[in-house]
Amino acid sequence: MAPLINPITLIFASIFTSNILLSNFLGMCSFISISKEWKSSLGLGLAVTFVLTITSAICWVVLYYIIIPLNIEYLSFIIFIIVIAAVVQILEMLIDRLSPALYLSLGIFLPLITVNCAILGAILFMQIRNYNFLQSIAFGFGSGTGWWLAIVLLAAIRERIEKNPVPAGLKGPGITMIVIGFMALAFMGFSGMIQVQ
Amino acid sequence: MNSFLIGPAVSAAITMVLALLITIIDKLVNNYGVVTIDINNGKKKLEVKGGSPLLLTLAGQGIFVPSACGGRGSCGACKVKVISDVGPHLPTELPYLSPDEVKQNVRLSCQIKVKKNIDIELPEVLFNVKKYKARVVSMRNVTYDIKEVLFELGNDVIQFAAGQYVQLVVPPYDKVKESVQRAYSMSSIPSDTRHVELLIRLVPGGIATTWVHTKLAVGMTVELIGPFGEFHVHDTPKTMICVAGGSGMAPFKSMLYDIAERNLYPDKEIWYFFGARTKKDMFYLDEMDALQKKLSRFHFVPALSEPQPDDKWQGETGIITDVLDRYIKEHIGKDNGLEGYLCGSPGMINACIKVMTAHGIRENEIYFDKFA
Amino acid sequence: MKNTQSELDAYERMKPGIITAAGFLGDDVRSLRDIIEADEEAMAQYGITFEHAADFLKFLKAAGQAGLGEPITVQSRYVVTVGDARGKLPCPWQDGLFHKNSVMVTDSKTDISIIYSDLSIHMLSVHHFCQGQGSPFRLNPEHLALLIK
Repeated sequence: MAPLINPITLIFASIFTSNILLSNFLGMCSFISISKEWKSSLGLGLAVTFVLTITSAICWVVLYYIIIPLNIEYLSFIIFIIVIAAVVQILEMLIDRLSPALYLSLGIFLPLITVNCAILGAILFMQIRNYNFLQSIAFGFGSGTGWWLAIVLLAAIRERIEKNPVPAGLKGPGITMIVIGFMALAFMGFSGMIQVQ
Repeated sequence: MNSFLIGPAVSAAITMVLALLITIIDKLVNNYGVVTIDINNGKKKLEVKGGSPLLLTLAGQGIFVPSACGGRGSCGACKVKVISDVGPHLPTELPYLSPDEVKQNVRLSCQIKVKKNIDIELPEVLFNVKKYKARVVSMRNVTYDIKEVLFELGNDVIQFAAGQYVQLVVPPYDKVKESVQRAYSMSSIPSDTRHVELLIRLVPGGIATTWVHTKLAVGMTVELIGPFGEFHVHDTPKTMICVAGGSGMAPFKSMLYDIAERNLYPDKEIWYFFGARTKKDMFYLDEMDALQKKLSRFHFVPALSEPQPDDKWQGETGIITDVLDRYIKEHIGKDNGLEGYLCGSPGMINACIKVMTAHGIRENEIYFDKFA
Repeated sequence: MKNTQSELDAYERMKPGIITAAGFLGDDVRSLRDIIEADEEAMAQYGITFEHAADFLKFLKAAGQAGLGEPITVQSRYVVTVGDARGKLPCPWQDGLFHKNSVMVTDSKTDISIIYSDLSIHMLSVHHFCQGQGSPFRLNPEHLALLIK
């Protein structure tokens, strides 16, 4: 049964109280590697939000109209991955054709996202939490926005850290991990305000 | 049907449907139809199929924009000025463009795709450029590190001005996975339209020259693209002062033989300074000597900078710029005025320009073919 | 030792056919971090710094320019040839664009021969990268030490 949660509330919940990055620690590899300047992190976050919203809608349809009726849930992982990869491919082509300007800021990140675990993670949450269609879209959009918010914040912090003396052993990923820990702590303050399950 | 087959069958079916979808969308989206390329404000119009990079589209139409890397965006040579809007500069182009070029919308033609009608500017000479299948008919070591390679063009003919260059297409070999192109001045006489001769000096670690020196052999067929370049003899009565070293000999050999054969510019005195380190770096002494006998207004001055005792060198010694300086001061008549022709590295060219301008030769009358 | 992201990116660009057709790695199979660390240790062992070595190579190049493209003897010991090619090369770390050239130095005292370019000097001084074993442009720390002495 779908949980009784208003999609709008779910959007805010997945941005703040259960931020996919800072409470579930999904999508960490690109989170750390692309967060050096806030401009590229902005593009990447935008791409993640975009792809996550669209794939969660498509995967919901695939899940409830193909996978569950045929009773092949054990294959849902592989099917989701295939769907995500194909959707990203198609999106890349469409954006390249329709909006070269958008392609410049977003398109180069699209292939990167195919393998971003936050996407698959959010879709699997959607599956185990039995969201309905609207909730899935809201959750996908909210999780993407949450990821975007987190990476832009981190990039802004890292640009500041860059100018400060960091002990040699902590330079680069080391200090970044510590910063992510603090950010996660801060976001923990929101927890319990909205129940997501 | 066995229930365990349903799963694999369904996932295979989903994959197929998605693959089909991608193919269809690719066909629809990436089909730009026929577009027009307008070159030099209407001088030439090409109807081409859209969707490919400009460099390759032009090459398909027989217009070869010079490119050293063959379209991988790593040499920055294939610059083309685009007049119509083709979107902002890509991150892959910017490292190769100066701020001025960005302002004038100069683009790397290998990086921009032809998606709609496009207006561009190209130098007119590119229209003469052709791709030749050339067979190596002879190879000769003129020094220990310079090879003279003669190519036969089959049924094709090449029309070029003495001093121009061609691009040699080097196929992948050993660890080199992709084909590269390198420019070499032609040393053959323009009247022989069926042959092209190149002088190729081994550059340590160089991809193309290593290939020429270790892999290229008589009988092999390679691709040559050309002719390119603005370096040529100017039709004035002024005395021509040429300076070169090493494979910089090539354009001058072509020019001198051309002048001697057709007795061009009969009032022109010609001085040719050729620098090398030791006797083993020196070549074509006999050929230049014979040319001097045939053409009385031609004077050849070879100079060694570090002659070895067993070279038994009788000629000039010293760095070529010093020899040049001395000759302009003491031997060369200045009644007709002087003009300079240089072929070599940027360092050599800059040094020669310094000497020549010090003797009152105007900078716009010093012509050169920089290796870089 | 784990490679940083920028090292992994640079390593990819060093492969054949990306920046130069032959690449910067020769037939070395070590990771970039391992190559750099091994050479840093070797340099320390021979008692030379990367800055010193780079300055020395710059000096030889500047002195070799006088040959105007032809070989010239510097300090009656090194035979230096400075050659130029068309075009520019970006650094694999993407922090600069360098004129494509080659400086060949043969030491008449030790018979050691090295080849380098402006890009090699930059990678040596800034990134402590001497190039992979088997690369024609490899600057072996031992050879550098013997050349400088």
